[in-house]
Amino acid sequence: MSKKKEVLEYVDKEGKRTDGRKADELRAIKIEAGVLPRADGSAYLEWGQNKVLAAVYGPREVIPKHHANPYKAIVRYAYRMASFSVPERKNPRPGRRELEISKVSGEALEKAIFLERFPNTAIDVFVEVLDSNAGTRIAALTAASVALADAGIPMRDMVSGVAIGKISGNLVLDLNKHEEDAPDAVDMPLAVLPNSEEIVLLQMDGLLKRSDWENAFELGMTGCKKVYELQKAALKKKYEIANGDEQK
Amino acid sequence: MPRTIVTPGELITSERKKLGSNVHMHEGRIYSTCIGLVEEGTDFINVIPLEGRYRPMIDDLVVGIVTSERFGGYGTDINSYYPAYISRKEVDESLRPGSIISAKIAKVNEINEVELMNVRVFYGGEIISVSPVKVPRIMGRNNSMLELLKQGTNANILIGKNGRIWAKGGNTKLLEKAIAKIEREAHMENLTNKIADFLRAENKGAGAPISAANGKIPLEQTKHADSRSMEMSEGRDI
Repeated sequence: MSKKKEVLEYVDKEGKRTDGRKADELRAIKIEAGVLPRADGSAYLEWGQNKVLAAVYGPREVIPKHHANPYKAIVRYAYRMASFSVPERKNPRPGRRELEISKVSGEALEKAIFLERFPNTAIDVFVEVLDSNAGTRIAALTAASVALADAGIPMRDMVSGVAIGKISGNLVLDLNKHEEDAPDAVDMPLAVLPNSEEIVLLQMDGLLKRSDWENAFELGMTGCKKVYELQKAALKKKYEIANGDEQK
Repeated sequence: MPRTIVTPGELITSERKKLGSNVHMHEGRIYSTCIGLVEEGTDFINVIPLEGRYRPMIDDLVVGIVTSERFGGYGTDINSYYPAYISRKEVDESLRPGSIISAKIAKVNEINEVELMNVRVFYGGEIISVSPVKVPRIMGRNNSMLELLKQGTNANILIGKNGRIWAKGGNTKLLEKAIAKIEREAHMENLTNKIADFLRAENKGAGAPISAANGKIPLEQTKHADSRSMEMSEGRDI
């Protein structure tokens, strides 16, 4: 990935990053709930250059039937990247990476849903990444959580996430592709239940010192709370539109 | 009083109150579990959902579509998690896949499997699908909204708790429009008056007032349908 060249400066003297953000600043996030009429719940999310579409179906009958659990619902999460979502065409066949992300993200959502209320059923979550620029698993999970709320599935809390990174000795929030490709980049996606501050997803690519990890986690938690506010606003906005129409 | 909209996991109150529907308690504080409107009393707290699927409850009246014939009965799609079962004893005439029926829920077990009773078969008419959580609003307090729709559109209407509305005769186009409006504005106040105005304006705009000749339904069925809808008078006006 990284080309042989002189060391780049990722954070300048004024604390600005290459795209002009501060160290603890998120990329621009836009969320819209209820975009797909045929799904039970759906959401469209733009996170910087990432574009993600999430759809939720269910709780519904499990097919094949032997996958069903008579004590709780199962969550089937499918994270997929469109073949045109990356610079070089991607094989549309789900690969190792997509299967792994689907597994961990599905398990993260399970922590938020009251699964035991829907025995013998499946909750299907499909997330399609239409355009990617680092941090898609977190973008997908954030969108999926909004889609679940839009489907009216009872949840303890939303799932909000953000990635934290360390580049050339600086802790930064929400890496973009350019920063992620830095030769010494550490990337740590984090997803939490924002009210109880419970961690539901935590991965790390690279190494961090203990003290760095603690600071990174602190940074991530504040980032997650910012994302959570945006998720709430997106869900409420769906009903404000109808209110606005009435006043005209 | 305008009700506030809450999202899943949003804190509603830190006071001690009785838990109603769609709320949960965590460390002594009460949070919402779905997107909905807060209904707060002096000693209880409730969230009226704005989204969600139908959850079968005993004694609900539902509108279903027969999907399969099974041993000794029929499988019926009632918009729940799985198809419901109708015993052949419960129906006088024979059903076939595609038949439209209304029925009362006789049994629901721990895993939400349903058995139906009091089956009635419908011929003709239309089915309008709505979100099941909006059904109480379409019926209105003491069926006020339902009466309004019946008068305004001159149609026979039967509302299933599962979000399926069977309608026959009258101005079903207008009925569809009115129901779509109720669904869209279900979270707002004073809806019954708004719909009354809407129906009046639409009927005037169309020029021709609805005549009784529009509804060509056998008298017997009309009576039947009316008595049925009266059964479901628990509709709350939220």
